[in-house]
Amino acid sequence: MASSNASNDFSLEGKSALVVGAEHSVGRAAAVTLAEAGAKIVLASQEPGTDKQIKEVAKLVNAAGVKPLIRVQSASMRADLSATADFTAKQLGALDILVNTLDTPAYGPAEASDDTTFDKVMENNLKTVWMSCQEGARVMLTRGGGVIVNVTSVLAERGVPNAALYCAAKAAVLNLTRALALEWARKGIRVNAIQAGWLDDESSPANKNDEFSKNLLKYLPDNRLVKPEELGGALLYLCSPAAGFVTGESIAVDGGLRARV
Amino acid sequence: MILDSLKLDGKVAIITGAGRGLGRAMAVKFAETGADIVAAARTQSQLDETAEAVKKTGRKCLIVPTDVTVSVQVNALAEAALKEFGKIDILINNAGGGDGTLGKQLPEITDDEWRRGIDTNLSSQFYGCRAVIPHMVKQKRGKIINIASGYGLRGGKHNFMYACSKGGTIQLTRSMALTYAHFNIQTNCIVPGIFPHNQEMMVFFKGGKFIPIGRGGDDSELGPLAVFLASDASNHVNGELIAIDGGGLAGGITPTGVSPETSN
Repeated sequence: MASSNASNDFSLEGKSALVVGAEHSVGRAAAVTLAEAGAKIVLASQEPGTDKQIKEVAKLVNAAGVKPLIRVQSASMRADLSATADFTAKQLGALDILVNTLDTPAYGPAEASDDTTFDKVMENNLKTVWMSCQEGARVMLTRGGGVIVNVTSVLAERGVPNAALYCAAKAAVLNLTRALALEWARKGIRVNAIQAGWLDDESSPANKNDEFSKNLLKYLPDNRLVKPEELGGALLYLCSPAAGFVTGESIAVDGGLRARV
Repeated sequence: MILDSLKLDGKVAIITGAGRGLGRAMAVKFAETGADIVAAARTQSQLDETAEAVKKTGRKCLIVPTDVTVSVQVNALAEAALKEFGKIDILINNAGGGDGTLGKQLPEITDDEWRRGIDTNLSSQFYGCRAVIPHMVKQKRGKIINIASGYGLRGGKHNFMYACSKGGTIQLTRSMALTYAHFNIQTNCIVPGIFPHNQEMMVFFKGGKFIPIGRGGDDSELGPLAVFLASDASNHVNGELIAIDGGGLAGGITPTGVSPETSN
């Protein structure tokens, strides 16, 4: 059978992509997906001292056929994101795709969360995404546009106990995505989101052998967690030129969780 | 490899409303991506044109003239697909549209008009799902894509049948998704914004200048989204609606893309 030409629609050959938060499972999977589709890659971490994790991710990206450049977070988040956006444009020749996988899960009872907790959760899950969008767009706007994908969570639209601030931050990222999409719609930047379902990864609270995990699995429509790699299809679609008429939208990769009562 | 998971080589796709517009565009794109097509619509001559375009890609196209409001005809469509190809991997419930009740004063809408509209847009999709599901359950694999509208999510003045039927589409999608998740069958919705299929529509929609992105969609842009939802790259996307509307719904414009004018 002759091979079809799917790759023509979804290929990222010649595109330059920056993945922020690449030391985490979702960033890792995103970077590998984009590399498989042919993009040039810069991997940027969200935390200082993550050299080792980022190098591991770089190996996987390398195995996918692309030698990535690496940026480990070192200065203040703002300065770092600003420099990283410029670095990408300079080193790769452009910044066509920015994927924000910035995420720091935060769980705890509302009564025990003080103002410092609030600031920290919002900073790690919302403010960094905001800053990354700003810095990425600053570079993209001088070059005629680009694509931004913010990875948020199904918790952007569903509440759970003991994660009020995390849920609030994730919801904020979703609506930030919509608002920025409208603001930049005529300037050539598309902004979309992916809402990850309950993930099966190293920082997940859902893959423990405890009551919470067991109950959650029963509730999930197909009784399993999402593997980070399963976000790849939606990510590639949104990043590709094939999605040129899609902006301000979010795709949930959750096995149907958000569809149920 | 992610790009391989976005191919449809060897798949069989039933597409209703395949005689023109978005249906034909999806049929051709699916064929280019490797699928054989079962094209359904009422008008034989339009189906012939679709088949010609599909066959140019080297894929097969079975034509089944079908009135999707008649459930025995929809059942026969599924049977014809099985007889020809031995399987059904993908169903796109695309047939439907607006009708004469759009803009009509509520007291003027007749029972017949209401029923015909709901039958065309919603019952047809239910019939389609019902006709293919035993086969998909048996093969423990399947993809169903229902075409909805921004009116399925938001209301509109003097827009009753259309908004209700498309809202029904979305709920049909969700319940299908949850009921058959265990059988590895994913059901999702595409929510198209404004796709001016011809010059007349282009004028009516003012060239799309009130759509956030500044233009209407081109029929060819729908295909890749449908390919994504029909492919293995979306195996954990289920019960989801994806708007392809140039940002229309993101802005709270009611419905997709239709005024207020955002800018020039």
